[in-house]
Amino acid sequence: MKWITRERPKIDRIACPWLIKTFVDRDAEFIYVPKEQVFEKSKELNAIPYDLPGAEYSHYGEECTFDYIVKKHSIDDSAIHEIAAIVRGADTNQFDLTKQSAGLWAISAGLSYNYRDDHEMLEIGMKLYDALYSWAKFVSDEKHVWSPDLKI
Amino acid sequence: MKWITRERPKIDRIACPWLIKNFVDSEAEFIYVPAERVKEQAEKLKAIPFDVTDVEFSHHDDKCTFDYIIEKYGIEDPAVLSMAPIVRGADTDRHDLASQASGLWAISAGLAYNNKDDHELLEKGMMIYDALYSWAKHLQKEKHTQNPVDHLFIDVFNKFIKQKAAQKKTPDWVKELKQIIQDQVDTNLSLTDISKSLNIHPSYLSREFSKHFNSLSFGEYIRKLRIEKAIELIKAGSYSLTEIAYLTGFSDQSHFTRIFKQHTGKNPSTYKKELSKSNAGTKG
Repeated sequence: MKWITRERPKIDRIACPWLIKTFVDRDAEFIYVPKEQVFEKSKELNAIPYDLPGAEYSHYGEECTFDYIVKKHSIDDSAIHEIAAIVRGADTNQFDLTKQSAGLWAISAGLSYNYRDDHEMLEIGMKLYDALYSWAKFVSDEKHVWSPDLKI
Repeated sequence: MKWITRERPKIDRIACPWLIKNFVDSEAEFIYVPAERVKEQAEKLKAIPFDVTDVEFSHHDDKCTFDYIIEKYGIEDPAVLSMAPIVRGADTDRHDLASQASGLWAISAGLAYNNKDDHELLEKGMMIYDALYSWAKHLQKEKHTQNPVDHLFIDVFNKFIKQKAAQKKTPDWVKELKQIIQDQVDTNLSLTDISKSLNIHPSYLSREFSKHFNSLSFGEYIRKLRIEKAIELIKAGSYSLTEIAYLTGFSDQSHFTRIFKQHTGKNPSTYKKELSKSNAGTKG
């Protein structure tokens, strides 16, 4: 299936494609266009519009589009629920929502500044969310203590 | 120059190579070996050992190796200086040092988990620190606002602040701001955001605002315009209430309904029905 949203993605419009590809539809394709063209192009290309007001896949109250996809597709993975809160905090300026939101925002904002091509940004963003997922799933209890001597 | 450290890098052993490449030696090469072989290989390869114990380029008290390189080479770039507590916090498990430290740690730990090849990891890590640097240099004060018009607001408020200092009569910014609010009533910007971007106390701005906008606060004024626009759109008859909520800048339908009722005493749907009845009556 094709999915379409506004150009210049930063948080939700990168995190959602990652979530869709990983948990909903591995063959999904993602299209970015100027804001005012999303609905028109979505009809033309038979693509699902997301992360903009008026689309089904969008923000509801405090929750962002990532949350909506988790609910809609009943994604039941505790690592995803943890990431959802991080993404929500970073996407909606609630940096106190989780400890990781402010860092995710800083890195994502910087990536978007450095990569002006939306698909290049998406490709790097995919690795970022792969990393967050591995952290949440496998290493979130681990602490980084500087103790190289322990290994010798 | 060659630099050598322990294998399986996560924070400092990625951040330091980034710092060295960008601020010390753009030709630098980095070597990762098992911890117990660092010193021996350093001598053999004539490489500078870093981020291991008992070497110059290492942790000193609370500071990490990234901090030491900044000091040693007198790096004064404010963006790098603001990255230092983030790196130090993530590297020494003191995430309270900077609000971005926990996120940097999570992403770095996950990247290390996913990339078992140290040089592949270094390559990806370089992109992360490039991003943090751009954020620190250009975007630190920026919030995740989704509208270019926000910058217009900020420009106008900047003008306001300057004019306020220069003169007392009704400044031009009022007219200009009114025009912009009128045009962009469907956008999403709070006075708090503006005041934060300007480092001005929000109550000061909101007090100044109401002096020129019929004693209404910024929020009241915006809501009043939005409801007026909603009424126009209902009268136009070709939009659904969901579309109208969107076109008038409300984040969701229930918020729109609540504010609409506050202003008109009626739900939008009731208002719409009554309007179509009275229309039918007059045409009847």
